[in-house]
Formats: sequence, structure tokens, C-alpha cells
Amino acid sequence: MISGPIAFEESARTLLVVHAVLGFAAVFTVTHHAAAALLAARGRRVRRQLRRFGWMAPATLAAQAVFGLALYPAYRVRVRFADLERTAPAVAELFELKEHLAALALALVFAAAFGGRSLPAEPAAPRAVAALSVCGAALVWTAALIGLYVTARHPVGMS
Amino acid sequence: MRELRAAVSGACVFAVVYFLAGTLRLPVLTYDPVARTIELTAQRNGLSMRYFGELIWAVVAGSCAGAAMWNSRRPAHPGAPLTVAALVLVGLQVAFHLSRLLAAV
Repeated sequence: MISGPIAFEESARTLLVVHAVLGFAAVFTVTHHAAAALLAARGRRVRRQLRRFGWMAPATLAAQAVFGLALYPAYRVRVRFADLERTAPAVAELFELKEHLAALALALVFAAAFGGRSLPAEPAAPRAVAALSVCGAALVWTAALIGLYVTARHPVGMS
Repeated sequence: MRELRAAVSGACVFAVVYFLAGTLRLPVLTYDPVARTIELTAQRNGLSMRYFGELIWAVVAGSCAGAAMWNSRRPAHPGAPLTVAALVLVGLQVAFHLSRLLAAV
């Protein structure tokens, strides 16, 4: 048992709640962006939605990632090392997968949001934005579900 | 179209650098949550965390690639192949990490 102080450990529960709320916001905004991008690819006029969710989706995702990174030291020591590695190594590995999915989702969502801000007349462009946005949303959904599962098993901030 | 090319180029480079930083164990900023120290190293000791450092490498490289493509004066090329490349790179990485998870279970 490691007894020394860990960064942000005292406020871990608050950070976890904010991380979860931002996570839900990120899931909803990336899903809206993906839906708008799909409609744009089908020729519908959704430029306003694409612009609106084009800043909301990356902003919520980035904010959520910042809170997740702040929680990570406490998770690493108090949850992963102290519990999951001994009792449920598969869950610890599942969380590793979630981290990688979240990082890749960041790249896709930012690319889709930036690329979708001024969709040109070229027919392939809306389809490219839609593909990026839908794949990014799928990764965000998967990461969110894994995060919920791991949190349900052992929330950070509860020893 | 310039926005899309810059964004997708950034995503491609982000995916490549993130993958290489993790698999080749490139030197990254590593945080030790117990000692509360940060150092630039390729080693991973005990509880030290490389995730921050790998992410920083990938974000910086992706941003530089996007900026370079944005400012490029070379003739424009279609964005669709770049998009396919980005999605393939991300898909391969997801498959790689999934295979590691399944191997560990």
C-alpha cells in the first residue's frame, strides 16, 4: 500500500464527477456532429449545425481529456496498482485500451470538426468529414462505455 | 478543402507518432505519481506513466503537420485518399491495442 500523497487525490471524486459530466457532453456533441456530417454527405444543408457542433465537440472532448489526465495519477496508484492488477488484470488492460481509443478519438474528432467548418463544393469532402466524424464518435462511445464499466467496478477516489 | 487536408494530415501524423512513441519506447516525458517527478526518459519504472508524454509527442507532431499542410504552396491533392489513410492508421492501431488486450486476457 502506497501511503504518500498523489496528485489531485483529495479532489478525485469531484474531478471524477466533472469528468463524467463532460464525458456525457462529449458523447452527445460528437454524436450530433456525426449526424450533421452524415446529413451533409447526403446533400442536406446543415452548415449551421456543423459549425455549432464543430466547436462544441472538440471543446467538450478536450475538457474531458484534461480532467481525465488530472485523475490518472490517482487511478494509476489507488485503483490500478492497488486493486485491478491483482484482482482483475483484464479490467486494467481494458482501461489501457480505453486510453488509446480516447487519444485516437481526439485526433479524429478534431480533424472532422476542423475539416467540417467550411465544407467545400467538392463532392468527396462531405463524405470524408462524415467518415472521420462517425469513426471519431464510435471511438468516443466505446471509450465512454469502458470508462463507465471500470468506474462501476472501482471508482477513483474511493479506497 | 485546405482545412480538410490540414486536419486530416494532422490526424495521420498524430496516429503514426502516437503509435511509434508507444511501441518503440521513444523517450517521452514520464511522470512518477509516487515520487511526483517528471523526466524525459525511454524507461518505464514501476508506476511511472508514459501516457502524458506519448500524447504530447503526438499532439505536437500532428499540429506541426497540420500547420505545414495549411501553409503549403504545393498543388492541392484530393482529400479523400488522405482521409482513407487516416482512418486506416486509426483502425490498425485499434486492432493492435485490441489484440494486446485479448492476448493479456
